[in-house]
Amino acid sequence: MGLGKYITARVAWAGIVSLVIVTIAFILMHFAPNPAIQQAATDAALQGNDPQEAIERAEELRGLDRPIHVQYLDFLQNVYTLNWGWSEYRSQPVPQALLEGLYYSAQYSVPWTILTLLIGPLVGVYSAINMYSWKDHLATGFAFFGFAIPNFFFGIILLLVFAIWLGWVPVIYNPDVAVFSLENIRQLILPVFVLVTGSIGGIMRVSRNESAEFLNADFMKTAKAKGVSPMRAYAYHVMRPTMVPLSTTVVGQLLAIFLGSSVLVEVVFGIPGLGRLTFNALINQDTNLVLGSLLVFTFIGVVGNLIEDLVFTILDPRISYDDR
Amino acid sequence: MSSNLPDFDEDAPLLEVEDLSTTFRTDAGTLLAVDGIDFTVRKGETVCIVGESGSGKTVATESITRLIKEPPGQVDGTIRNKGLNLMELSEKELRSIRGNNIAHIFQNPQEAMNHCYTVGWQIVEALRVHQDVPKKEARARAIDLLDRVGIANASARFNDYPHEFSGGQKQRAMIAMALVAEPDLLIADEPTTALDVTVQAQILRLLNELQEEYGMSILFVTHDLGVVAEIADRVIVMYSGKVMERGDVFQIFEQPAHPYTQALMRCLPDKGVDTGGIPGQLPDPLDPPDGCRFAPRCEHAIEDCTIGEQPAEMEIDSDHEVSCVFYQHGYDESVVRDRELEDDTAIEDSSTEVGATDD
Repeated sequence: MGLGKYITARVAWAGIVSLVIVTIAFILMHFAPNPAIQQAATDAALQGNDPQEAIERAEELRGLDRPIHVQYLDFLQNVYTLNWGWSEYRSQPVPQALLEGLYYSAQYSVPWTILTLLIGPLVGVYSAINMYSWKDHLATGFAFFGFAIPNFFFGIILLLVFAIWLGWVPVIYNPDVAVFSLENIRQLILPVFVLVTGSIGGIMRVSRNESAEFLNADFMKTAKAKGVSPMRAYAYHVMRPTMVPLSTTVVGQLLAIFLGSSVLVEVVFGIPGLGRLTFNALINQDTNLVLGSLLVFTFIGVVGNLIEDLVFTILDPRISYDDR
Repeated sequence: MSSNLPDFDEDAPLLEVEDLSTTFRTDAGTLLAVDGIDFTVRKGETVCIVGESGSGKTVATESITRLIKEPPGQVDGTIRNKGLNLMELSEKELRSIRGNNIAHIFQNPQEAMNHCYTVGWQIVEALRVHQDVPKKEARARAIDLLDRVGIANASARFNDYPHEFSGGQKQRAMIAMALVAEPDLLIADEPTTALDVTVQAQILRLLNELQEEYGMSILFVTHDLGVVAEIADRVIVMYSGKVMERGDVFQIFEQPAHPYTQALMRCLPDKGVDTGGIPGQLPDPLDPPDGCRFAPRCEHAIEDCTIGEQPAEMEIDSDHEVSCVFYQHGYDESVVRDRELEDDTAIEDSSTEVGATDD
């Protein structure tokens, strides 16, 4: 079967891509100064010992004196067995630190993604149906606003207005509240709103322009001639073909914001999620943790693109993977 | 078929169109696509609307169930389907007519189906919009219809997507979709224009068979007089949104009365020497000329042709009317008669020409 074979090949490719990224990470790390070893050298020098000897001892302790290919294979094995080392800055194993970060990131990422996927295409198609009317201009204006304003800046402004002036939502994020509680909704509503406005802009514009093409397609006239109601025609005959080009944008947009903006938004709102974890790991030169979050983002990126490619075949039957 | 509209008068003509005008608002002004035309389609007959591209044929037929976009379009006049004035119906009531009592097939079958859904799904949709049929039964009926319109191995092809159908097969599937609710009237807008000549003949023959089987009327739009000879009972010749001539198909071919009809006849590949088309071009629909619309391109035009309105249609024979100054009182109609065309047995020639490609 074409599709089954394609999925297998595509998953294998995803594995190769992750291997390439892990290898690049290893090479970069190999040439980067190791803060633990530098620390050992500094300590030795301060105590009047030979710093060079201390460096050698520290390297031996960490297995860094072995040949590079042995180190590489060892590294690979650790990566793929989730043995990602100890986070000095968090004083806990890296996978555990990442899981804790993910726990908080997911709390706003899941509603944000769902809202974006629901609102973006709907408003886009609505805009196309009412093209060049005030409704379209309003939606377009909103899209450009959300797209243009930096998320972290918008977040600060909203915090100032709604948390400090109006006092409707807490200023400081409390990581101890229950996930499904009113309190949690109150403290996450602003970050979710900021991220949604940032991400639906592009999706709205793409779905508006794509669906405008299908609204005037011959098959819409056929649908009308069959006696299909406009709402049904929009839902089935416009939405479906629009989703094909849109799915590319959706994955790209969401990943870009997930990897980029979520760091800033988490810092602004004080959410101890994956973004802020990565940020702090960088600041504190916690190499193991930086590498760990790199692997998480790699995984999300690779899987996101994999899903996108598979969704294509399902959405548009004309795309065939039989010959690849 | 079932309908929630009770006021059908079974004795009234199937379709009566009176003073139909369709205009479009554009930035350059109001575009007059169809300008006050009348016509009738009776039960079981095939009426062909003929004319060159841009003469308003398609807009006229799409105005009947108001498929055209409003705005920018605007439809005025009276359109009665078995006595029921479609112009007075709400959009919802009109939807129960579309595809149910009056069905459409279009010029370009390549684009007429949604590429994201199977052919079967789209036929079932057409049925289930109008009738509360269980999915299984709808599927069985769709497969029957696909089989009836000549799709081999219909139950397997039901799940195929439009791109897996050839052009001719797509048009067959479109016909199946149109027939799913057993309409009284099928409006076929150049259904064979985009197809191979051999496939054209097959589709025309299929339409003829189905018409007899279902007892439906067909309103057929075409610019191809060869197709007209093949399928029509009556012919309406349109030019620039106006009716130039109308009549029984034999009369139109044996005695083309209007200079425009004659010009179209001369464009048939095997007619005379002048196959260079009709000199000149359609008038600007934003600013149509006074008098006869065809006058600027008519070799016989005199001053009287370019003043006032389009000449009233004169009955020159039973069921044969022409809108030309020369057929009115006080003018000599022999000026515009073309004896050469009339002596030709046009209809036999062109029907064998199409028929020859059959099979």
